[in-house]
Amino acid sequence: MSIASNASAGAPRIHLSQDMQQIIYRLLAAGLLCLALSLATDAFLTSNNILNVLRQASLLFFLASGLTLVILTGGLDLSVGANIGLSACLAATVIKATGSPILGTLTGLATGCVIGICNGLMVAKLRIPSFIATYGMLWVLHGITYYYMAGETIHGFPPGFRQIGSGHFLGIPIPVYLMVGFLVAGTVFAQRTVWGQQIYAIGANPVAARLTGIPIDRRLILVYAFSGAMAGVASIVFLARLNSAEGDIGEALTLPAIAAVLIGGASLFGGVGSVFGTFIGALILTLVLNGMNLLSVNANWQPLVTGVIVIFAVWLDMYGRRKA
Amino acid sequence: MSNFKILAAALPFAVMATGAMAADETIAVFTKNQTNPYFQTVRVGADAAAKSMGAKVVHYIPTKPDSIPEQLSQIEDVIVKKPSAIVFVPVDYKAMVPGVEQINDAKIPVVNVTDRSAGGKFLAFVGADDYSLGLETARYLLKEMGGKGNVVILEGVKGSLTNVDRVRGFNDALKEFKDVKLLASQPANYQRLQGLQVMENLMQSHPQIDGILAANDAMAVGAIEALDGANRKAKVVGINGTKEAVDAIKANKLLATGDYNGFLQGCIGTMAAIRALRNETIVTEVVLKPTVVNASNYQPYDRPLESRACPSWSEVEAISTKTN
Amino acid sequence: MTDHALSPSRPLRLPSVPGVAISLVGLVLLFAFSSPGFLSTGNLSNILVQSVILLLIALPMTLIIMTEGLDLSMGAVLTLASLVLALIIVSTQSLILGLLGALAVGLAFGFVNGSLVAVLGIPPFVATLGTLGAAQGLALIVSDGQSVVGIPRFVRQAYSGTVAGIPTPILIGIGFYALFHVLLYYTRFGTYIRALGGNRDALTLAGVRWRPILIAVYMLGGSMAGVAALLMTARMNAGHPTAAIGMEFDAIAAVALGGTSFEKGNGWIFGTLLGVLTVGVLRNGLNLMAIPSSVQVACIGALVIFALFIDGMRSHKS
Repeated sequence: MSIASNASAGAPRIHLSQDMQQIIYRLLAAGLLCLALSLATDAFLTSNNILNVLRQASLLFFLASGLTLVILTGGLDLSVGANIGLSACLAATVIKATGSPILGTLTGLATGCVIGICNGLMVAKLRIPSFIATYGMLWVLHGITYYYMAGETIHGFPPGFRQIGSGHFLGIPIPVYLMVGFLVAGTVFAQRTVWGQQIYAIGANPVAARLTGIPIDRRLILVYAFSGAMAGVASIVFLARLNSAEGDIGEALTLPAIAAVLIGGASLFGGVGSVFGTFIGALILTLVLNGMNLLSVNANWQPLVTGVIVIFAVWLDMYGRRKA
Repeated sequence: MSNFKILAAALPFAVMATGAMAADETIAVFTKNQTNPYFQTVRVGADAAAKSMGAKVVHYIPTKPDSIPEQLSQIEDVIVKKPSAIVFVPVDYKAMVPGVEQINDAKIPVVNVTDRSAGGKFLAFVGADDYSLGLETARYLLKEMGGKGNVVILEGVKGSLTNVDRVRGFNDALKEFKDVKLLASQPANYQRLQGLQVMENLMQSHPQIDGILAANDAMAVGAIEALDGANRKAKVVGINGTKEAVDAIKANKLLATGDYNGFLQGCIGTMAAIRALRNETIVTEVVLKPTVVNASNYQPYDRPLESRACPSWSEVEAISTKTN
Repeated sequence: MTDHALSPSRPLRLPSVPGVAISLVGLVLLFAFSSPGFLSTGNLSNILVQSVILLLIALPMTLIIMTEGLDLSMGAVLTLASLVLALIIVSTQSLILGLLGALAVGLAFGFVNGSLVAVLGIPPFVATLGTLGAAQGLALIVSDGQSVVGIPRFVRQAYSGTVAGIPTPILIGIGFYALFHVLLYYTRFGTYIRALGGNRDALTLAGVRWRPILIAVYMLGGSMAGVAALLMTARMNAGHPTAAIGMEFDAIAAVALGGTSFEKGNGWIFGTLLGVLTVGVLRNGLNLMAIPSSVQVACIGALVIFALFIDGMRSHKS
């Protein structure tokens, strides 16, 4: 993890050309994977499958994009998966009770956001290490969700609401539009706004950031709130796609989301990484799964293949960074 | 006060039957996890039986789903408390044998429910077998397909007993239908989202899929959403007989779901344990026949669990496979 | 993870009545009054025995975290080692060969983890996330997804036997705790480990080749997973392809609960012992009180936050 110390404080602009090179290496990793898959099976390089991969990557990206900002500050949010579970269950309850998808969506977003703010307060104000604060939060959220759902599921939502997850516009799935929207917004926010630059600065060198007068606590609460709200967004798309809510829906997503951010070139020590890199990371992970399904890889081998490809992708990225 | 009323209402029956001190009977019920709706049905069944017989139930569920070390620890903890009897669903039928032996050493009577333990002494076994459940459900689908076409299998968590046996049942049924082709057998880990995504991926490489064998209902319902999204049709079956699956059958989306009635298992297991404590005759083995729930016979499943009633003991004796 | 650096005045964590000790004493008092049977010898020995497997992987995890690293593969490696141990014992009836096999698996994965981190410079979180997948995949492949049974009875003794009336696992736990304590505080290796986290550059300047040391730390972790695999297998009298999945997070939580921080080599191995015991006491006590599982889940989270909150308060005041 010593690489992080190379990133000089508060001035990511200087590294722009390096950033470009890293992004090129990362795209190269994704490109190699695509090439291998299109050689291996005819079914891969079809417009249908590409839209399919993008739609599948969207859910992971929503979660991972919020997480990227947290990781940029040198923190971690392990509660995002559990957050999806509770947000989705509450949103589903409200939709069922009121029949209003708008109220339900607001509930989901608000729940995610409130959980995020709690994380932010614990990290910024109580000074609990983020790994532990959000790990504790993960258990608390699971407990509440299991208690609330008691092993049941809530299913069957209005068709209009379901469009968010399963609808198309001009032949392209709605979640893909949402993903592009958040990708652009996230990139502009992180690279082109004062707040975004402050977030990079906090991660790169917290002491210097404090001395230059950046309101660290408020920015930290902001990024955790944002991460929570993105979990809320993911929970809504999840509900709309799957037409069903159950207690453990997000559990399998936390580690892949963190992996997506890290494959995307972010460092757990903060200050390094980008929302676009995370997008590539989410894409690579989704491609691996897609490829294994298309090729019908034996179920026993799938974790092994995923593990090796994750390491390889990151190594390629490291190699590129060192050459840059 | 309300507890007292329930006791007061139940007491006359208990006293009539046995003259035992009903209030002192505590039954510890072990189940595998708090996320799978199936085990909720077992728990509700156990509660219903205990309530009608005037005994008390305490549930022990691993906080991490299906955790072997945690269930072993829970057994060790519960032995300290010395409950009157135990109703036991092992998270793994082989690895939990040392736990059962500890219960035996502590001389606490124990009834085995759902998965048959590979060792230890039990008063009785109440369960069904996953193999015949998989076999019957798959046979139903293959017959409905007219004995020809292409199918895919969505597998559950690799390494779990339920998955091993269900998938074996699926495959043996496939052997009986020579004109049915198995295109792929891929893991979706009993998860709804993975069921959806794996199905989306499989549809890319297989233009014609006529039938889907899912090892649980959540994956089946996920696969249906994938089919709907792609405007494709296939006959889908799941396993577990959940409320959600029944709703999908009513809506003509799901062909059938295999069920072995967790509610009945919870009822009969708990009734047997309490009857044994009161020195009444019990049966030593009840293996419930798998039911394939479909559009013609779903009605009994289409009501809330809490309103279902346990069978009378003479009904239990009628379906038992061994008595003492 | 630079959370700590946000308060520049934060002092070194001192081992004086930290949050984990307060939590442990508080829980013991609570359960002693609310749950008859909690303080019985049988139950106390219960808690200790149950805690040993977690302790065995939390000890090396402490060292790994002190090097600013992390090992997410430990649960999966433990699982794989346990399967290999079971398979070898079943086919050769030899406990020694089985244990050697388990240790070999652990050392091999430790070596791969260490090399990925120290030589290729891959962040530990990602490197070990990758090897987690690899170990889990291999566990499924060698076992074909099934439990391995048919282990002779004598293997059970490793977990359920006693020496001079004390359960073997407790003795194993005490032995390894002592070993790690000495290793960390009384050997040069320990000094290097502490320097690896906070002061890697100084090591380089002093001419110490830190890469082999870092690899050795991960290999130590792997070999402890091998030792824990023996107890795990003996406990279940079987090998199972998902037995210890996720245990690494329990270990990391116990280490953090014990006051080891994720940066600057700031660790406290006795705190890890207290952290493991606190989790053990909490789970046991909640089971004795028959608290519903969903509430137990929330309690574990609340405890973790509480203990670290106390620590935060203390260092904030000083």
